[in-house]
Amino acid sequence: MSCKTILNGEGKKSYVRQSLKGGWLRIFAEPWPIGVGVFALTITNLYMFMYARALGVFPQMAMWGSWLYNLVGIKTESPFIPYPVKPIYLDMHSLIDIGIIAGAFGSSLLAREFKIRKEDWQGYLWGAAGGILMGFGTVLMPPCNVGGFWVATMAFSLSGPLSAAGLLLGAYVGGKILQYQMHKALQKLDFSTAPKGETQAVKVLSRQPQWGVLVFSLTLLIAVIYYIAGMPKNAGLFLFGILFGLIIQRSRLCFVAAFREILVSRDGKVMKWLLLGMAVGAMGFALLKAQGYQPEHMVFPAGWHNIAGGFIFGIGMVLAGGCGLGILARSGEGYTRSWVAILTAMLTSGAWVHIYGQKVGQGWLYGKPVYLPQLWGWGGAVAFIYGFLLLFYFFILWVEAGKHERA
Amino acid sequence: MKELKAVKVNDNHYQVDMRGWMCPYPKYAVATLLEKLPPASCLDLLVDCPSATKDVPDLAKNQGYDVQKVELLTEGEWLICISNLNHS
Repeated sequence: MSCKTILNGEGKKSYVRQSLKGGWLRIFAEPWPIGVGVFALTITNLYMFMYARALGVFPQMAMWGSWLYNLVGIKTESPFIPYPVKPIYLDMHSLIDIGIIAGAFGSSLLAREFKIRKEDWQGYLWGAAGGILMGFGTVLMPPCNVGGFWVATMAFSLSGPLSAAGLLLGAYVGGKILQYQMHKALQKLDFSTAPKGETQAVKVLSRQPQWGVLVFSLTLLIAVIYYIAGMPKNAGLFLFGILFGLIIQRSRLCFVAAFREILVSRDGKVMKWLLLGMAVGAMGFALLKAQGYQPEHMVFPAGWHNIAGGFIFGIGMVLAGGCGLGILARSGEGYTRSWVAILTAMLTSGAWVHIYGQKVGQGWLYGKPVYLPQLWGWGGAVAFIYGFLLLFYFFILWVEAGKHERA
Repeated sequence: MKELKAVKVNDNHYQVDMRGWMCPYPKYAVATLLEKLPPASCLDLLVDCPSATKDVPDLAKNQGYDVQKVELLTEGEWLICISNLNHS
C-alpha cells in the first residue's frame, strides 16, 4: 500500500516534470513549424491592432535616422507624419522595434542559437547597399514589406496588392544577385585538390539558456517600469514587440524568403502559408473596421509608387538579409550585417524630407489613399482582397508547376 | 565575396566551412557543392544560420542525397553531414 502510494506520487511528479520539460523544449528549443509561426504572427497582430495599432516597423526606424541627424546638428524632420522626432524611449511605436530585437535576442539565447555572426568587408558593403535601398523603398512604397504588403492588404488598402507586385520582382532580382555571388565563390572550389583538414568536434556549451531567462526577466522589468511611470501603452507595445521577436526567431518565418523563393527556386511554400494566414487576418480586420474601429488605419496612398517602391525595397531586403522585421530580429540573433543594414536604412529614410522636400504621402509622387470598403462597400472589398489572395496562390502554383515540368 | 574552400577530413570525407555566410547562401551553395563532391563521399557543411539547418537538409533530401545528421557544434553553429552514397 505504502509502496503504491510512493510510486503514484513519484509517477505523477515525474509525469508533470517530463511534460513541462517537453513543452518548454517544444516552445523554446526546437524550431516551430512554419504554419504555427504564421498563425501566431497573424493572431498577435490582430490583438495588437485591438490594443493600439497593427504591426509596422520601418517608419519608427526612419524617425531614428532623423533623430540621429538632429543629434549631430543637422535639423531634420521625421519623414512619416504619425512619427515625429522624439527620444526613442518615449516613443511607444519605437518600443515595438526595440521589443522585437530584445525578443529575438532572448529567444535565440534560450535555444542556444545566439552568435555574433561576423562578415568580411564585402558582406558589410552588401548589407549597407541593402539598407540604403530599403531606406528609399520604405518612403516610396510606403512603408515596408510587413506594413505595406502584409498588414495593408489585410487592412483593405489597395496599396497592399500593388506593393506585392514590386516586392516580388525586386526580391527576384536580389535573389539572382545572391545566387551569382554564390556561384563566383564556388567557382574554384575543388574537392580533388582539397588540403588535409581537421574535423570539427562538439564544443562545451555555455550558459546561454540561463542568459536568455535573464534577458526575458529584464524585459518584463522594463515593461513594469514603463507601466509604473504612467506609460502603459509603451509597456504594452514593448511586450507585443517581444512576442513578435520571439515568434519570428522560433519559427524562422522570413518574409524575404517568402517573396524571393517564388521565382528564384520556384518554391512558394512560405508565401502560401502567409497567404493562408492573411485570409484569416483579413477577416479579423474586416470585423473590427466594419464596426468603425480605426477604419483608416494602415491605409496608404495607392499608385505606381507602390510598385516602384516595392521593387527597390525588394532588392534591398534580399541584400540586407531581412525585411524591416527581419533585420530587427536578426540583429537580435547577432547578425552584424543586419546591424549595418539598420543603420544605413534609418539614415537613408530619415533624410527623406531633405531629399524630396515633403513628407511621405504628400506631393506629386504619391496617389490618394484608397480604402477599398469606401470604394465598393464591404462585400466588394472582401471579394477583392480574397480574389487577390486566391490569384496570388494560383500564380504560385503555376510557377511551381513549371519546376515539376522541367524535372 | 570571399571564396569558399574545401578541406579533406579523411578518405571520402570532406568539409566546407560556410560559417559567416547568412541565409540563403548555404541553401544556394549546397546543390553545386554536392554536384562537385566525388562519388561515394560524405560532406560536412558547417553553418551558423539557424534557417540553414532546415533549408539545406530539405534541399539535399529533395535531390536524392542522404542527410546523416544535423548536429549542434556550439551555440549558433551546426554541422550538416550529407552523403552521396545512394545518390542516383
